[in-house]
Amino acid sequence: MLKINKASFNDFLLDLMRYNELIAPVKTDESRFELVKDIKQIEISLHTYFPVKKLFFRKHQTMFSFDKNKLAEPETSAEKKQRVIVGLKRCDLNSIRRQDIMFMKDTKDPYYKEERDRTILVGYNCKEPFDEYCFCSSMDLGDYYDLMLYDKDDAYLVEIGSEKGRNFVDRYRKYFWDTELFLRPEDRRIETKLQLDKRDIKEYYNHPDWKKMVDICFSCAACVTLCPSCYCFDIHDEVDATLNKGERKRNWAACQLPCFTKVAGGHVFRSTREDRFKHRIYHQLQYFKDRHGMTLCTGCGRCIRGCPTRINFVKGINEMKLEK
Amino acid sequence: MPRVKTAKEEPEQQSANPYLPVSTKITSFKRESSDCFMIRIDFKTKHDPGQFVQLTLPGIGEAPISIASYSQEFMDLNIREVGNVTKALSKMKKGDTLFVRGPYGKGYPMDKLFGKELIVIGGGSGVAPLKGILSYVDKHKNNFGEVSLYFGFRTPEDILFKDEMRQWRNKYNLNLSVDKNPNKARISCDVCFITNLIEKAKLNPENKIVFICGPPMMMNITISILKNKGFKEEQIYVSTERLMQCALGICGHCMIHGKYTCLDGPVFRYDEIGQYTND
Repeated sequence: MLKINKASFNDFLLDLMRYNELIAPVKTDESRFELVKDIKQIEISLHTYFPVKKLFFRKHQTMFSFDKNKLAEPETSAEKKQRVIVGLKRCDLNSIRRQDIMFMKDTKDPYYKEERDRTILVGYNCKEPFDEYCFCSSMDLGDYYDLMLYDKDDAYLVEIGSEKGRNFVDRYRKYFWDTELFLRPEDRRIETKLQLDKRDIKEYYNHPDWKKMVDICFSCAACVTLCPSCYCFDIHDEVDATLNKGERKRNWAACQLPCFTKVAGGHVFRSTREDRFKHRIYHQLQYFKDRHGMTLCTGCGRCIRGCPTRINFVKGINEMKLEK
Repeated sequence: MPRVKTAKEEPEQQSANPYLPVSTKITSFKRESSDCFMIRIDFKTKHDPGQFVQLTLPGIGEAPISIASYSQEFMDLNIREVGNVTKALSKMKKGDTLFVRGPYGKGYPMDKLFGKELIVIGGGSGVAPLKGILSYVDKHKNNFGEVSLYFGFRTPEDILFKDEMRQWRNKYNLNLSVDKNPNKARISCDVCFITNLIEKAKLNPENKIVFICGPPMMMNITISILKNKGFKEEQIYVSTERLMQCALGICGHCMIHGKYTCLDGPVFRYDEIGQYTND
């Protein structure tokens, strides 16, 4: 087993910053993953309010530019530095796994892949749930990281999860020490108070209790914006004043808004809040699982924490009784 | 005849960037009705009837259009002017350049239906993807039993593919209707909803396969009529419409209860989506 002493952890980070972009949880007005300028900003154990997905799946992405009838792909800068993201929680890492499936498995999304390939993921295993909205321990999260740090007394125990991670450790070998310490099962997994009991919700689609949650939903789309796994997007063209030159762009989209399913001619398929609310939950817990064998939801709790009316869909589903 | 490979099985046929369309030219432009027109583009690719392509007009946007032909030499697209892109397309002419990517989606599984009798039901511009089926049947005449067509349009002026209709009337059992005839045009078809014709028709479900494409209301009514006549959901194929943007099964807009219209559809066997047609 390897370890990094906490005493030398800052030196390690400073060393990293010399040749890499270092990104870590930073608290400003809200907490988010940011490019680190001063290592004093870093709060490694912080569970960020905003998700990490913006670093790979950008909010605004130019797909190609056009000039009359000539199309040109955006230039890929080979100069881009390697990135190291430190302090990813298990839920964050698992949401990256979900997005990797969407953007790199069947379809190779060049924009996502470019950002993903230059990034090393260094996790931080939570010692305790961040707050009452975390429910990750009921979501069967897997190991998906290049390196994982386990907070143990005056050191971080280090687990290597990939070839990329191994090469990274070799490069910074002077900070890593061999140790007799080892991880117990309880060091790896934390128990969250909130637990999603009924993960198979197939039978509940027409359950009357959905209404209880939908009645206090504003359809504001904070939940899908804050979700680290949600990957839906819009594509549209932007032109300059000549109307000839412009760019095709993609932006994050939100299934909670009526325009999400609006077709030419004006028909909206999911026109009610209930349809849209259920679509989100079913996509998170059932549709993605049917396709890829795991829930899209990783139990980070951001959609509950960021909801203006704190709709706790976990409690809502737990309370549903199957009436046949 | 082996099933033609779809775009998904041959991902390298275009640029490595799956979002980048290729340039193509319009080789013919024909107005079909006041709001519908047909363009033929010089885009040579293998495809199934019922698949679709994404057309790009730089600066206007991208729109999914179903393929109304079955040929590896050209591609016919019947387009109704309803959105920004289709309105701009309606102003184009022969020789103009546009951009295309595809084909996408699952079409009608024609090769799995050999030996069946076909009932093809279309409403308005929904007849366009069904035209691909008829081109396919033309090329594989001996593999199908009797073919019945039920096509409905709003008015006589809205009837699409008038030239082809004459041929189809000779070859197949064609049933044509218009909802109303406000200009008192001389027509040789019924003035009623197409669903009334289906209701009246003596249809025996045995060894039949039904293809439906049209407005949601017309499809729902047709399906309930067919079910009353003893048809099973497994015998019915529907072609669905949704907002489609990436056409690659990522962007999420076209999802119907977990199924992507652009990957698993746009043609679904009715029991696959059944009760969720409004999702």
